[in-house]
Amino acid sequence: MIWQPKGLQGIRRTVQFLVIVMMITIPTLSRYTNYLGARELDKSLERWDGTLQGEVLGGLDAVLRALPGGEKERVGRMVRNRTQVLEYAQSVRGGPWSVQIGPVSMTDPLAGAESIMASKQLVWVLLISLFIPIIGTVLFGRIFCSWVCPMGLLLEFTDKLRNLLRFLEIRPHNLHFSRSIKYVLLGVGLALTVMMSMPILGYIYPPAIIGREAHDLVFGIFDRIEEGRSGFWMGGLTWMSLIILGIALFEVTVSRRWWCRYVCPGGGLYSLLGKIRVTRVKRVADKCTLCGDCVVVCPMGLVPMQDVMGVECDNCGLCVSSCNDDALGYSISLKDEPFVSSVGTNKTDKEGVVQSA
Amino acid sequence: MAEDTTPKDRDTGRRNFFKRVGRSVGQAALGGGLLTGLLQLRKKRTAPIEARGRLGLLRPPGAVDEADFLAKCIRCTRCSDACEAQCILLFGPEGGKHQSSPYIFSNEKGCTMCLQCGEACPTGALVPLAEQSDVKMGVAVVDERLCVSHNGTGVCGACHTVCPLRNKAIVQDFRNAPLVDPDFCTGCGLCEEICIVRDRRAIQVKTDRAWDEEVGV
Repeated sequence: MIWQPKGLQGIRRTVQFLVIVMMITIPTLSRYTNYLGARELDKSLERWDGTLQGEVLGGLDAVLRALPGGEKERVGRMVRNRTQVLEYAQSVRGGPWSVQIGPVSMTDPLAGAESIMASKQLVWVLLISLFIPIIGTVLFGRIFCSWVCPMGLLLEFTDKLRNLLRFLEIRPHNLHFSRSIKYVLLGVGLALTVMMSMPILGYIYPPAIIGREAHDLVFGIFDRIEEGRSGFWMGGLTWMSLIILGIALFEVTVSRRWWCRYVCPGGGLYSLLGKIRVTRVKRVADKCTLCGDCVVVCPMGLVPMQDVMGVECDNCGLCVSSCNDDALGYSISLKDEPFVSSVGTNKTDKEGVVQSA
Repeated sequence: MAEDTTPKDRDTGRRNFFKRVGRSVGQAALGGGLLTGLLQLRKKRTAPIEARGRLGLLRPPGAVDEADFLAKCIRCTRCSDACEAQCILLFGPEGGKHQSSPYIFSNEKGCTMCLQCGEACPTGALVPLAEQSDVKMGVAVVDERLCVSHNGTGVCGACHTVCPLRNKAIVQDFRNAPLVDPDFCTGCGLCEEICIVRDRRAIQVKTDRAWDEEVGV
């Protein structure tokens, strides 16, 4: 039984962009909450009429008031139901590191592991919050990396930049490192977390950084606008942005998807959790023509038609949608099947040297 | 000829590689320099640490004790997103190991005790509270030499008016002079925010929280 979804990549890209939109919307919503709570919203909307921040706040206001209970009728007129709108606006919080949408709370397993190991306590709130991500990973593998992680999206675009560079005949290098680096880093980071009694890996884990920086950026912009200065767009960024920049630069020039493949401690944890995943990419050996298309697209640098995917596959489905022979698809099983064939492939990585086995 | 060029190509390839690595490192350094320059422009909403020392900074309502808080808090910004009064600020890089963890600087902005931060916290670093009177962030202390009602230069009573636990936490004496009852005072800091003595507030929230030296001064 193999499932070969069509249009999956479109949905995936949409989800990734939605995450980015959420990352900007949530802090903006927080400022909206602030203005509404301080009874300054109408004043702000009036003052910023026609500007970007005015439009954004006005749009949020319209959306929240359109929700059930957002407006109430008083003597034949609709007025904003302040309490209800505040409740709606306050119920969405966080970023990719930890998010709350209404009653649903989700926290990155890495954050949970760090918090639990640093404080040596189990807290119900945290366990409940970890439930959905862990179940999701057990069912679908590292889908956080391929569907949610904003760094993953950024690196997919730098991948395109690499293609452009190759098109311009500037060949970017593609070094390979050991995939076990990420598990070592995860172990060392968690050991440090226990020793220092504080979460360390959150400071180098890109989704956490990007979420925080988006928050700081939006807040910084609003702070400046409130002071009457023009919104300097780099407003509130901190040194942690340098890590993101560094990762992206290294990726463009030296090694493709190096962070996700070899280094990311969060990815490592997701890999370990996804070891027992239920959904796996499977190959129909009869249909495979060994064309190597899937090898070229795989962001994790695997050979989908040949490798035992093991823990490294992030179930992004690029190989499935690239396969023209319907030889690859998702299936529900707990085990990978090893490849048995004497025929080799004549392609390795997209940028690797062509070699025959 | 063909065999001749191969090692040469490889050599230039390697040289190119180093050149390119060098260039990328240079670019990273340039980007880093630019960004650090921009960081200098980072707007500080407050100058909390320099201005007040450790006693001026509060953790949000429901915070567990400091060592435990630092261990539990995953720096996810959820409390700051949830804050209706926008009084919860996050430490910048100057905070050392407190970076990105939440604090309240009541000199600038007091806490309205909407208690949403406790609801928002995913890790139990902030415990959800049911009642406003459960909050215990610190205690407001009146400086009788500075307070205009106390020292006889005027009649004010602003702190009493703004206090969420009015007539319990702050009761008024002769000429509206505020008297704080430490048993009821939650340390929300609204009185400090509103105090008409602007230079150094006549009423300030003090906390005996064990801030580290790193953040202390």
